[in-house]
Amino acid sequence: MTEATNQGARSADLSMALPVLQAEDIPQQGAPVISFDRVSKVYPAQPNRPALDNVSLQIYPGEFVFLVGHSGSGKSTLVRLIIRELRPTSGTITIANEDLGSMRNWRVPYLRRNIGCVFQDFKLLPNKTVFENVAFALEVIGKSRSIVRTQVPEVLRLVGLQDKLDKLPDQLSGGEAQRVSIARAIVNRPPLLVCDEPTGNLDPQTSRGIMDLLERINRTGTTVLVATHDREMVDNMRRRVIALERGHLTRDQQRGVYGSDV
Amino acid sequence: MSSILYFFKQSIQGFARNLSTTLGSIITIFLSLFIIGLFLVGATVVDNIVKSVENEVSITAYVADSASQADLDAVQAYIAGLDGVSSVSFTTKDEALEEFKAMSSNADIVDELGGNPLPASINVELSDPQKVEEVAGKIQTSDLFAKVADEENPADSLKYGQRTVERLFQVTNYLRYGGLVLIALLVFIALVFINNTIRLAIMARRKEIAIMRLVGASNGFIRGPFLMEGALHAIIGAALAIGCIELIRRIALPKLQASLAFLPIQVEMNVFLAIYLALLVAGLIIGLIGSAFAMRRYLKV
Repeated sequence: MTEATNQGARSADLSMALPVLQAEDIPQQGAPVISFDRVSKVYPAQPNRPALDNVSLQIYPGEFVFLVGHSGSGKSTLVRLIIRELRPTSGTITIANEDLGSMRNWRVPYLRRNIGCVFQDFKLLPNKTVFENVAFALEVIGKSRSIVRTQVPEVLRLVGLQDKLDKLPDQLSGGEAQRVSIARAIVNRPPLLVCDEPTGNLDPQTSRGIMDLLERINRTGTTVLVATHDREMVDNMRRRVIALERGHLTRDQQRGVYGSDV
Repeated sequence: MSSILYFFKQSIQGFARNLSTTLGSIITIFLSLFIIGLFLVGATVVDNIVKSVENEVSITAYVADSASQADLDAVQAYIAGLDGVSSVSFTTKDEALEEFKAMSSNADIVDELGGNPLPASINVELSDPQKVEEVAGKIQTSDLFAKVADEENPADSLKYGQRTVERLFQVTNYLRYGGLVLIALLVFIALVFINNTIRLAIMARRKEIAIMRLVGASNGFIRGPFLMEGALHAIIGAALAIGCIELIRRIALPKLQASLAFLPIQVEMNVFLAIYLALLVAGLIIGLIGSAFAMRRYLKV
């Protein structure tokens, strides 16, 4: 236990010592997919401690972004603001050129069809098979059965679960369940994939598999935002890192590391 | 069209996969509707009995022996024209005597009296027994009746059991209002019960709803299968209730009628059909509205 912590601290120190590379693999061009403009969110239960305080950031198409920070730093709030499960107290959020503040309620489902969501607890339906769980995402947006029959096996092959179509979620390991939820998130090919602690429940080996998968998805052009506190993963992948601390944006760094400041 | 098929498939699946909650809500709907139906049947039976008792109410207007036939005809025409009167008939002195003889145990009494002491009378049957006082009042105050009635005391020549009628109507009205209040109460209780079971059934599946919202299903699409399931539960529950009441109608009511022959218990088939329809519609409305209400809190964006 102590060894692991030491190791973590050492690697963090090491990566902090490395120069921050400004070279950009993905040019930040075009209209940003996600744009936060001085966004604050105050929960009524804690009026004196905003969950997000004056956060501004832009995420461009094709980027792979880590959102890091302790529990309670505002990561989940930010994710829930993006899918408009919450509305900001002040500031504007723009997703794919659409202002969420002025968006009508009935438009929200259409917004969510363009955002794939992956969560720590998988959120799979326990009484549906793997195939049905993934197919569900297509059925509820009114896709035809032929599309379901071709697209679902394809996406399950992509995540490496082509043999488990008829398994129920409780017959799967944690990593497999998370793959199913990723498959469900990307089956209708959304331009944006948002993951809230996707590896929070998984061991390091399995986490790496999930991250590889997310990276592969990113390479197909999907913008990926991963909220995590998995230090090792962030440090290994050297992608853009946005750090939050107590609701403040403390760092936004290309090819960043988890760092010791969070 | 394809989404309606999808809703149907989903509701059948939801049916099989949540068997215990499904059975719970079906049984609740069934029992509530069954009890309401029983009370409706009971209320119609009681109403029938009350009506048959009320229909016994009639007015007898005794006329003087000296009344002329022309005046009698005029009075009868006048009474027949009154509101709430269904038929008017005339009993002559001889007929009255025959009736008395038939009813009396010792008919010899009459012969000993010599002559016929019984007066002729006009019998008024009422279409609306509740109006007996009004009709009686009009007859009493009319000039035509004054001409044919016993001159000494016209008020006394009109018999309709004043006191008894008043009490009778008080009782029957209490019975009617009491029945209405009871049924309203039952409907309310059923509403609360059914709504609660549906709420529980939907609460058990809030995870499913949350996931549907997450993957971008529109509210209408989320609501569809649940509403259809609610309607399906309601229809099955109502069908069970109707089946049970139909059994009672076929088996229990004839037996009851046989043992209580003096009461008109048999209810027309039309009334039963109306009750069945009411149960089905009420079940459907409760099922649909209950589901819609219960879903509302999970569909807030």
